[in-house]
Amino acid sequence: MERSKAFGTALASILLGGGALALAGYALASATPHQGALMCQATTTGNCTLTISSFPDSLAGEHGKSGGAHPDWVSYSNDNLVAPANTTVTMTINQYDSGGALNNKAFFSRVWGTNGGTATISTPNAAGTSYTTATVSKVDGTNVGHTFTLRGIPGNGTPIFVSVPLPADPATNSVTVGDATYSSPVKVTFSFKTGTPGVYEWNCEFPCGGSREGQFGYAMSAYGYMSGTLTVK
Amino acid sequence: MTSTLEHAAHTSAPEGGGLARRQNFLTAMIGGVVFAWLGWFLAHHFLDSSSRNFSDLVTTSLTIGWIFGFWLGIGALNGPGRWLIGADHTRADDLYYAGENQGRARYWKYCTDHKVVGVQYIVMTAVLLGAGGILAMAIRTELIVPGNHFVNQQVYNGFVAVHGMLMILALIVAVAGPWANFVVPIMCGARDMAFPRLNALSLWTLVGAAGLLLSVLAVGSLTMGWVVLAPIADQAGVGMDFFAMSIIVFTVSTTVAGVNTICTVMTMRTKGMTLARLPIFVWASVIAAALGLYAFPYFSLVEAQTLLDRNFNTSFFVAGGGGTGWLQANLFWLMGHPEVYVILLPAVGALFEIASVMSRKPVFSYRTAIAGMTGLAGLSILVWAHHMFTTGWAPTLGGPFMLTTELISIPTGLFFLVIIGTMWRGNVWMKLPTIWLFGFIFNFIIAGITGIYLSDIPIDNQLHGTMFVTAHFHYVFVGSVLFGAIAALAFWYPKVTGRFLDETMGRISFWLAFIGVQVTFLAMFVSGLRGMPRRYSSYSLIFEHTNFITTIGAYMIMAGMLVLLGAVVRSWSHGEPAGPNPWHANSLEWLVPTPPPLENFDVLPVITEDPYNYREELVRS
Amino acid sequence: MAEMKNKENLKGMFATWVILTVVGVAIGIWGPARLMPRSMSDNMHLTILTMVVFTVAAAPVAAGVYAVTLHALRHWVHKGDNVPAPAAEQTRENATLTASWLIASTVLTVFLLIWGLGALAVDNGSAGRNPLVVDVTGQQWLWTFSYPGSNVQSPTLVLPEGRTVDFHITALDVTHGFWIANMGVQVDANVGTTTQIHTTPTALGQFDIRCTQFCGLNHAFMVTTGDVVTKAQFNSWLASQSQKA
Repeated sequence: MERSKAFGTALASILLGGGALALAGYALASATPHQGALMCQATTTGNCTLTISSFPDSLAGEHGKSGGAHPDWVSYSNDNLVAPANTTVTMTINQYDSGGALNNKAFFSRVWGTNGGTATISTPNAAGTSYTTATVSKVDGTNVGHTFTLRGIPGNGTPIFVSVPLPADPATNSVTVGDATYSSPVKVTFSFKTGTPGVYEWNCEFPCGGSREGQFGYAMSAYGYMSGTLTVK
Repeated sequence: MTSTLEHAAHTSAPEGGGLARRQNFLTAMIGGVVFAWLGWFLAHHFLDSSSRNFSDLVTTSLTIGWIFGFWLGIGALNGPGRWLIGADHTRADDLYYAGENQGRARYWKYCTDHKVVGVQYIVMTAVLLGAGGILAMAIRTELIVPGNHFVNQQVYNGFVAVHGMLMILALIVAVAGPWANFVVPIMCGARDMAFPRLNALSLWTLVGAAGLLLSVLAVGSLTMGWVVLAPIADQAGVGMDFFAMSIIVFTVSTTVAGVNTICTVMTMRTKGMTLARLPIFVWASVIAAALGLYAFPYFSLVEAQTLLDRNFNTSFFVAGGGGTGWLQANLFWLMGHPEVYVILLPAVGALFEIASVMSRKPVFSYRTAIAGMTGLAGLSILVWAHHMFTTGWAPTLGGPFMLTTELISIPTGLFFLVIIGTMWRGNVWMKLPTIWLFGFIFNFIIAGITGIYLSDIPIDNQLHGTMFVTAHFHYVFVGSVLFGAIAALAFWYPKVTGRFLDETMGRISFWLAFIGVQVTFLAMFVSGLRGMPRRYSSYSLIFEHTNFITTIGAYMIMAGMLVLLGAVVRSWSHGEPAGPNPWHANSLEWLVPTPPPLENFDVLPVITEDPYNYREELVRS
Repeated sequence: MAEMKNKENLKGMFATWVILTVVGVAIGIWGPARLMPRSMSDNMHLTILTMVVFTVAAAPVAAGVYAVTLHALRHWVHKGDNVPAPAAEQTRENATLTASWLIASTVLTVFLLIWGLGALAVDNGSAGRNPLVVDVTGQQWLWTFSYPGSNVQSPTLVLPEGRTVDFHITALDVTHGFWIANMGVQVDANVGTTTQIHTTPTALGQFDIRCTQFCGLNHAFMVTTGDVVTKAQFNSWLASQSQKA
């Protein structure tokens, strides 16, 4: 082959091959599940609120009416949270799931990193008709449904560490949530402050996910169920 | 007067067994899918669906069905089946299965001709490298900036694991597959391998295993690295069962191939071909095969134990049941370290040949080359726990394993002595194989030295699990083994196709790959030194510059590989024609026509000297 | 004439070797401390020093191979389109060279080994009479620390300067890798067993703890920070934490 033809074939190989790869990459990125973003709702200057839920299955959240690939897996309603920088975020979590004992009770039964070091917990009675509210810095580690544990990568934005235990839901009545039916939720509210922009990761630290050891398989280890991100912009 | 070969050709007409003679890749796929479905159906129907092992059992049953059906479909069971019922293959059958008179169609079939198997291995290597390379591009694209913008962490983690395993498989067969098959029997003066049917079996079993491995991505992937450590392997879905079965099946392929290579070289050398007159590449192939025979069964064992834990609730690796993840790690690395030398030795052997032929000089210290390779293989059995220095498993064994690991640098250093000694004051012919050889020398020094750092425990305590380790072994696998494999391809390409691999495209590919390797992996060393762990889907901002540079370098390597692929494809039909001995070399493969006839030699040669005597007459021929 | 030319050529190779060795030694002396995280412990000082020593020792070896290779590219490449003639010297063996190479590589390897074993012995030395014991728990995907002496839990690791700390490390679900990048200590956290490692912080300031053993979905986020503070600051921190518990 003469040199010019060789150079031409080489260029063609790179363009064709590179083009095919880019196309495949684009298709892959589009097909990969990315949860829609839930923005923190601004209230007064420097404040915003964010409300999410934790469910005993996947029928009410972002996995669709039929619950997606694993309808019986526990899930959070939203995994892709967004909040503005330098803002006090007041978060409310509606906890609909039952619970059990934490595996690292000493640590995760406590509230970490929130404003005041506390969280306000409103617990329904069995019929779901009235709520008792208390502001606490720790809960009974043997009856927890989930936790909300948020952390960042040092070097990406102001360090934030928040961990709040979400007690198990004692109610036995029925309420409709989207396309699913659960009992009245336990409501947990707490605040923390965001700093400079960065991406933070949160997940539940109450392991309930199959596998023989550590119970961290299935829903605990799959994207879009028991973990998510908080993007501070 | 026609030769015996041609006479046999005229009288052999395809007789009977019409279906058996139509078996090919398509029937293999159909057989695999049908029996996979059957395995799935039987397990699904008869097993208790509420048991926690249900999905694993169903999947394992499906994979067993796949490989059995694949073997049935490709015709692997025909030979043994016919022997069993007393209708053994006739000479005509043997020639048919050797692909006589079938033209291109024989490359799709269960063909026993070692030269066809060699070409099939070239294709399989390209497929595996290509699939692994696509995943590498996905990984680097994700890491070009911090954050998960391309895919999410779960998808990314799966890519990392499958990329690793695909590339390991690709490199195990990259030099040994094509060239231990195509070239070694001819180098020995044999008509074919000792066990031609096993040869076809090893290739098609690899295809079956590859099918299982490629399916891993489609069934939920893996959640841990290619080492599939316990206990995290337990958290993976059914992708882990596919993975484990693909390894068990792959071990069948390498075992069969290893036995075949060793038996061929030990028993089928032609008259006068003493062990001392064998080309050094044959020695490298035998030593690598023997090491593989020792090492790969551990892999099969550890994956079988993982399957037992997942399917039948045994506790080999489950701490709660009395087992330990450390057992898995030990068994894995007992395979894992010798395996990297199974990968390296054929490439080094090919480079010894290339150094000699292209310098127009004998291999320097043939005996040291053999001693080095043997010493390396032997020592490699004793070093495995250097992968476990930081596990906390056996702190008192740290010293002994440090000793054995550092000692390995001595036989490795001998390789440099042999190559440099061969090229010393040679008349170096700068063609494609030589260029890739020089690239290998440059990269292998960096690979070896960075390995020595990691063998030192205090340093390993800092660098284990960081990108420094990743950069080290990529210098070995990409910078050294892959460069050696490409050199071997450029060297023997004229023997397979009758044409030269295009020199210009090859050089473009070389420079893109060579510069790409330095840019990618030197930046990766810096990422690791500065503290970036490996298998991270996202990273701290302090690593963003080195990661960006690494990704650009990776794109360069891919560009180089695309050009190489283009060169291989284009030169096959449009390359510059080459005679039967384009490099004017002396080993037997160059003294037969191109392409070599069905049974290599009309008359088996008698050997009186080794192939390293370069004389003027050779130049003129 | 030809032999004189060869000897001159070899001088060029020798000069290249010297230059490349100097470059390698410079990289060895300058590189590790600049590229690696700020050293904050006695272990890390020794690790960085070991990297310097190994690089300096490796420099002449790499330089030698590169010098010969460059020399080959300049002087031994056949010029022209014809097939090259057989090389003038068809040497098959050179016992002196082979023996020297073997001896030199063995000596170098043994030196590196002795240095390494020595550094290992220093690292593994006893933790002293009264180390600060810290329990480290790794779980997907968080490190938590407790100070058993004072019943204190913490998501970040606070250490006093100058006092040897003895880490007792375990995991609750899968294997994790506990690594303090600034202190040169790393050991896995395993389920069902406790591993130990100790070091003495020698500098104040912040450091990162990163998980180095792939542990699933959010392995990349299993990173936390720590602080080395003065002994007084540490004691008051410990006291305030134990009140909250």
